[in-house]
Amino acid sequence: MQPLNLTIEDKNQLKLERLQSTLNRAYKNVPFHRNRFIESNLMPENLLSLDQIERLPLMDRSHLGIHYPYGLFAVPLRDIVRIHTAPGTGTNPSISGYTKADLIIWQKLVARSLEAAGVTSMDILQINLPPALANWGRDYKDGAENVGASVIPNSLLSLEKTLMVLRDYKTTTLVTTLVFAEQLMECMFKSERNPNEFNLKRVILVGEPVSLDQIKNLQEHLHIDVWLNYGLSEIPGPAIGFECLHHCGMHINDDHILPEIIDPVTKKRVELGKAGELVLTTLSARAFPLIRFRTGDMARFLKEPCKCGSSLISMEWLPERADNMMIISGIKISREQVKLYLKDALGVSEPLCQMEKIRHGGNEILAIALVIDDSLFSDEIKNLEKLMINTSEKLAELIGVPVKITLTEQHL
Amino acid sequence: MLRIKNLRCSYGSIMAVQGVSLSVRQGELISIIGANGSGKSTLLLAISGLLTTWDGEIIFQDQSLKGMSPPQIVKQGISMVPEGRQIFSPLSVIDNLKMGAYTIYRKGLKDQVQNDLDMIMDMFPILKERATQLAGTLSGGEQQMLAIGRALMARPRLLVLDEPSMGLAPKIVEMIFETIQTLRQDGVTILLVEQNARAALKIADRAYVLETGKMVLQGSAEELLVDDDVKRAYLGRDYKNFYDGRE
Repeated sequence: MQPLNLTIEDKNQLKLERLQSTLNRAYKNVPFHRNRFIESNLMPENLLSLDQIERLPLMDRSHLGIHYPYGLFAVPLRDIVRIHTAPGTGTNPSISGYTKADLIIWQKLVARSLEAAGVTSMDILQINLPPALANWGRDYKDGAENVGASVIPNSLLSLEKTLMVLRDYKTTTLVTTLVFAEQLMECMFKSERNPNEFNLKRVILVGEPVSLDQIKNLQEHLHIDVWLNYGLSEIPGPAIGFECLHHCGMHINDDHILPEIIDPVTKKRVELGKAGELVLTTLSARAFPLIRFRTGDMARFLKEPCKCGSSLISMEWLPERADNMMIISGIKISREQVKLYLKDALGVSEPLCQMEKIRHGGNEILAIALVIDDSLFSDEIKNLEKLMINTSEKLAELIGVPVKITLTEQHL
Repeated sequence: MLRIKNLRCSYGSIMAVQGVSLSVRQGELISIIGANGSGKSTLLLAISGLLTTWDGEIIFQDQSLKGMSPPQIVKQGISMVPEGRQIFSPLSVIDNLKMGAYTIYRKGLKDQVQNDLDMIMDMFPILKERATQLAGTLSGGEQQMLAIGRALMARPRLLVLDEPSMGLAPKIVEMIFETIQTLRQDGVTILLVEQNARAALKIADRAYVLETGKMVLQGSAEELLVDDDVKRAYLGRDYKNFYDGRE
């Protein structure tokens, strides 16, 4: 995409133009945004520089739930050509939408991230993402087609079948989560298949921050290069940030998405290079503009310019979180939402429980240790077991990852 | 090349342009579209120096245009083809073209003027045929070509076209836009203000949409051509018919 070649001055001008257009449209078309402008005593036409966006209030996932389903859309529904759903944090999921123009932009942004990883029209790109990240699967398909690569779209295959497709179809690039890549690697070695049988050159990992050790492990065992992409289900798109060939942090597509790093407590911007919560504002989105959206992800901007010469800002994505969410198999899980569900499903006033991510048969699952109380207690162990199994299954459907609930008498 | 930041223009208490930012980079063809009263013409008046009471920044080639008179702005390299052509009707075609090269002529560069005249005549053969004819007797399309040719005689770094399709028959409009596209391919940087959004977006690299003095949309021509808001408002797609499912 053209803006990669822009000077910093040209890019900042472009960002200001896009920001002002976005704010004008959001003010005009979305009552939620309009009211927040009025409350801040700042009209869109009075925002004169990119820095002044700090004067606008922050928004978070709870606002998406409150305005479920279409309350934050900035275009008439008939202009929407694609609707995506994310689990949200409360009782309502969060919905985002694309217009035709949005799809064109996202396709180009995903293509930009793929090209930065060296993907060309000579590549065969296979997508393997869990159902909760299926939205991204579609975006990667569109982006890879834009590059001209041959795409094997996202489909639910067993590990064995995935390995077969990887080998027989001569896949060169795999887009997946860390967990699935590790499972694939284990399966490959367990079934005594040599990585040299495969044409795989690179794996693009999405969904969660990945440590250097985890990357090294994949690189050494699979003889591949690993690239990280950053995305959000709410923005909506998978390639907000991406690594280039130099692997020195992730470039943010800041010509289309304006990033800020704030202190999650004081909500003030932190100094360049300091860690904080990543806050994003869409600059080009027609259907679903988000203004100062708190991602909950911790990151820090990198001071040093990348050797690739790109004018896009770079960040390091940190494993900590600024919110109370956890990431399982690349999918964000809201602890509050889980508790809300348990409260309703089990009829308890305030479920006491502990949640953690555990590995079970290669999969990552949400393990919930639930304190049994009088309201939950039953003489019939079978009934209790059945209730827990039913609740686990329904909760898994809601949040998109497997759930295992165990009962405990001990206070946590 | 041209960078406008937070431009505000008013006529008395009426704000015609409210915090508009836009840019034109070297070699680009940028289009501004918008309905009547959207602020397009006011924006151009400010760029050309005909409107002096504005706030914000207009930077051309790293130099502020604040306080510059229209002739000074022409010397900086901005040539405008005004709405309604505004050619010198009592003068011949060739004299109109020479008027466009006035600043170059005054520098004593007569050979350059002659070369440019030859180039314009090659570009617009009809003007060569009508060279001695009074400009006022030309057809609308020919007058538009003359107006563009006259602007090009100043060897502009940025050519600004204000509603070049206005009042012209569709076939002539097509021809004028083909000419604009050729100029762009020859490396001329162009800012095109146009109500005929479809024609403008077909040839533009990027475009801006102005609405009641505010910039509400910008993007590549490809993005704007599929934008339903743009289609409804500027590409002749009737909102009501579409809404009622009668399309």
